Amino acid sequence: MTGSAAGTEAPSVPRAEGSDAPGEEPGRDFDARAGSDMDGDPFATGDFAIRTRGLTKRFGRQTVVDGIDLAVPHGAVFGFLGPNGSGKTTTIRMLLGLATATSGDIAVLGESMPRSLGSVLPRVGALIEGPGFHPFLSGTANLRRLDAADGFAPSATRRARVERALARVGLSHAARKPVRAYSLGMKQRLGIANALLAPRELIVLDEPTNGLDPQGTREVRSLIRSLAADGATVFVSSHLLAEIEQMCTHAAVMSAGRLVAQGRLDELRAASGPPRLTVRTTAAALAPAAEVLRTLGLRPDPLAPTSGTGDAGGTAPAIGRKNVPEEAGMDTKMRPNEGGDTVLEAELAQGIAPEQVVASLVAAGVPVRGFTVEQPSLEDLFVSLTGEGFDVAQ
Amino acid sequence: MSLSETTPRAQGDLEQRRARRSVGFGFFLSELGLLFRRRRTWAMLGALAAVPILIAVAIRLTDGGDGRGPAFLDRITQNGLFVAMTALVVSIPLFLPLTVGVVAGDSIAGEASASTLRYLLVAPVGRIRLLLVKFAAAAVFCLAATVTVSLAGILIGVALFPVGPVTLLSGDTVSVAESLGRSLLIAVYVTVGLLGLSAIGLFISTLTDAPVGAMAATVVLSIVAQVLGQLSQTEWLHPWLFSYHWLDFADLLRQPIEWSSFGENALLQLAYVAVFGALAYARFSTKDILS
Amino acid sequence: MAATAKWQRWVPAVAVPAVVAVVVTGGAFAAGASADLPEKTAQQVLELAAQADVQTFSGTVEQTADLGLPDLSSVPGGSSSGASGGSSDGSGSGDASTDSTVSAALELLTGSHSARVYADGPTKARVQVLDQLAERDAIRNGSELWLYDSSDNTVVHSSIPADAGSGDGDGAGAPEASGTVQTPAELAQGFLDAVDPSTDVSLGADTEVAGRSAYDLVLTPRGSETLVGSVSIAVDSETGLPLSVEVLARGASTPAFSVAFSSLSLDTPSADLFDFTPPEGAAVTEKALPTDAGDGSGDHAAAPQGADAHPEPVVTGEGWNTIVALPVGADSADLTSSPLIAQLLTPVDGGQVLQTALVSVLLTDDGRVLAGAVPAEALQSAAAGQ
Repeated sequence: MTGSAAGTEAPSVPRAEGSDAPGEEPGRDFDARAGSDMDGDPFATGDFAIRTRGLTKRFGRQTVVDGIDLAVPHGAVFGFLGPNGSGKTTTIRMLLGLATATSGDIAVLGESMPRSLGSVLPRVGALIEGPGFHPFLSGTANLRRLDAADGFAPSATRRARVERALARVGLSHAARKPVRAYSLGMKQRLGIANALLAPRELIVLDEPTNGLDPQGTREVRSLIRSLAADGATVFVSSHLLAEIEQMCTHAAVMSAGRLVAQGRLDELRAASGPPRLTVRTTAAALAPAAEVLRTLGLRPDPLAPTSGTGDAGGTAPAIGRKNVPEEAGMDTKMRPNEGGDTVLEAELAQGIAPEQVVASLVAAGVPVRGFTVEQPSLEDLFVSLTGEGFDVAQ
Repeated sequence: MSLSETTPRAQGDLEQRRARRSVGFGFFLSELGLLFRRRRTWAMLGALAAVPILIAVAIRLTDGGDGRGPAFLDRITQNGLFVAMTALVVSIPLFLPLTVGVVAGDSIAGEASASTLRYLLVAPVGRIRLLLVKFAAAAVFCLAATVTVSLAGILIGVALFPVGPVTLLSGDTVSVAESLGRSLLIAVYVTVGLLGLSAIGLFISTLTDAPVGAMAATVVLSIVAQVLGQLSQTEWLHPWLFSYHWLDFADLLRQPIEWSSFGENALLQLAYVAVFGALAYARFSTKDILS
Repeated sequence: MAATAKWQRWVPAVAVPAVVAVVVTGGAFAAGASADLPEKTAQQVLELAAQADVQTFSGTVEQTADLGLPDLSSVPGGSSSGASGGSSDGSGSGDASTDSTVSAALELLTGSHSARVYADGPTKARVQVLDQLAERDAIRNGSELWLYDSSDNTVVHSSIPADAGSGDGDGAGAPEASGTVQTPAELAQGFLDAVDPSTDVSLGADTEVAGRSAYDLVLTPRGSETLVGSVSIAVDSETGLPLSVEVLARGASTPAFSVAFSSLSLDTPSADLFDFTPPEGAAVTEKALPTDAGDGSGDHAAAPQGADAHPEPVVTGEGWNTIVALPVGADSADLTSSPLIAQLLTPVDGGQVLQTALVSVLLTDDGRVLAGAVPAEALQSAAAGQ
């Protein structure tokens, strides 16, 4: 519900990399300067939890963040995607005033940053690039210290707020232990607890599930959902697409310092293609099954091992066993059976109901061993925008 | 402006917060807690306490000496209260600057290397406030270190040697009570003398994310200053070295007390604190926190 | 607050050192600021100084010597032991003892020293030479004279004959103890007494010393033979008390030797200061004063102390060119055998020379010692002439 309320504000069309005309650059720089001088600039008073304009960061000659225009609506769970080294963390550091932008404007919670840093940051909880705690202090002591560091946080309620935050991430049992005795996952939870010390309007989580086991990952996801349900805007960065896909209402994709896509999740999905159906059957029934699908107006696409050409929805008719890479985040969805099933996939065209397909297959005598309909993941889009593999963008 | 745009719920949350930022006494206490909950801090204070104890035990075992060695050493057998003075003379050139360099050099760089700096800053602690609190904590450590040497010296002196009225440098004699008062004054004097070094350490600490480097640089600087202070070729420089008045604490052991060095020392250290505080502010407030 | 440009954050980092520099240099300028005093001729100032009768004061004296001698304060046995004129083991004649005695005297002629001086009338005085972590005290109270050295915790006690008390012309009744810093008044007295036709007396710009306005009396030797370029004496405009003395070597722009009050109060010091009881545990030596107790003049040459029965010195030349010659004696052998002194000596024809910016000392091969504020060549010819 929160997502839909704010959704109207989001840019509706995912922006491709190429749409950033190089000719815009000088004008943007000019705007940036003008914007920072004008207090009444509507840019900073918009209904966005986070908004940037032409945000750029250079280290020496290297441009790490290159003129990005982020727009995070209030109440959104906003996924900030991008491979390692794409500039996500640097962007977050600039949003939180840890680093100064080389050029461009930032508005967080309607106030210009870093000018209003002192009044904005108490309303923001953050986990930035892994947790950081003094190993010889207990979890409680670490949180109390960070809470005391916030000059606006009332000391009277400190003890209670620390306890509540620890309980919320399931660390109450380890609250008195020194942090050096914590596992990586526990530290990560403690980091999230720190973000929850006070009621926050915006929570920025940089790679919140790093180091967590599947159980912990699930807990973090549900925590984020509950934070969003409380009305907070959650800004989650991740290099794991599946994670973003499961909990976000909005997403943006960074690649090599540029913002290559941004928008509501369903809009991004739409851009990555229609839902796909998968039919699992015997090798012998492959041809009839394909025939049935063709009759229904679908274009069956016998699976080839994911090749990573970035050619989403490619139609090359090659038959093969699906080879799903673990890291693609689809492990729980589909895996070839040992029994030697053949898998047939097709885009589900508009107007055709999945049950209709099953009925037709069964009617044609195809032994349907499995049938799934999947919303297309963002993976294809992600891969097409950011490249794949270890050639980390620099 | 911001409040009018936040949601009603968030506004309610904000009302629970303080209207004004607190000056940071709570955070200062928390910083002291951090400092004195470290084993390293206690190890350093223990090492400092060991200086007078070693001196006293050595003197006791060898039954005096041949008149050589640091100032006041030959007085110890007559009056145990001189253990503290001797230990200060021994500690001031190296041990005290060493420990102060560790604490001051660690102040910002240590937080950076522990990844806690970014969390403090987004809490938000405020960069100036963080510098002030770190410097105040370093100053408290200076006092703790000096008092540790003095107190350990007095205690071991009382335990191992006769104690009585104390002969001052001028040859006059004062009561035990007054000599204890002067010991306290000396502790304050030495503490003030270390403030300049603390400010330098704080500044160096803002330059790097490697605490060991900042500590080493601070300690090396304190040694360089003392070496320069020994060379007659750099005599014009001597009065401007932060270590110039370090051993002048003895002026508090004259009759009447020579206060001029106390004042000059305080002014000199104030200048160092002002200059390096300003540098630390400039550097730290413009620094990109990437650790 | 945070929107300020980066360069603006560096403003304090530049401004604060600038302010500190301004305060420091401003303070230096203020200290040298000249006072506006009634016009006086040089002669009037000389008379003012001669009439000075300040018997009661307390102050701090800073002495700086840059005589071209190596800094001896770091030599072992320099400042840290045996620093007072007659050390407790004065009978020792070994190298170590000579060294420590000589070096103590020499040490006062190198580097900087500060001393606190308290005086209450002609017979009550105390001088405290403030060494680092140590102190040398000379206390005179009536006929009692105490020397205390904190570095080795020794006391020397002497009784002054009753008639010796009022011998000093000027009021600075500091004890006539060697191994202490002289007050500007004592040093100035020597120069003022020596003012004769060979000296050009002029008046410099009015100045300020220890917060008091003063006339600047400049004594310039007319002859060209002496090493002394000029002597400038700051005479307190109110009391005539010399507040500072600066001796410049010929052709030099900075003083080779200067003594100045850094603070001065004309109030009566606390009487407790002149009460001295040897501290418990201190080694006390009784010592009779030599009958020809020093004249307290500006003779700051490094004459060794504690030797009994000096041969009568022979004085030749006059005014600034005076040469003092000690006939053959045991002292010079002692001196040259001391490695410390040997270090300072340069061999020349007929002997060895100790050359400083203001004073030359010639130790002839036949054992005589000649000294004077003249070049070594003058001493050599004087030695040859005798």
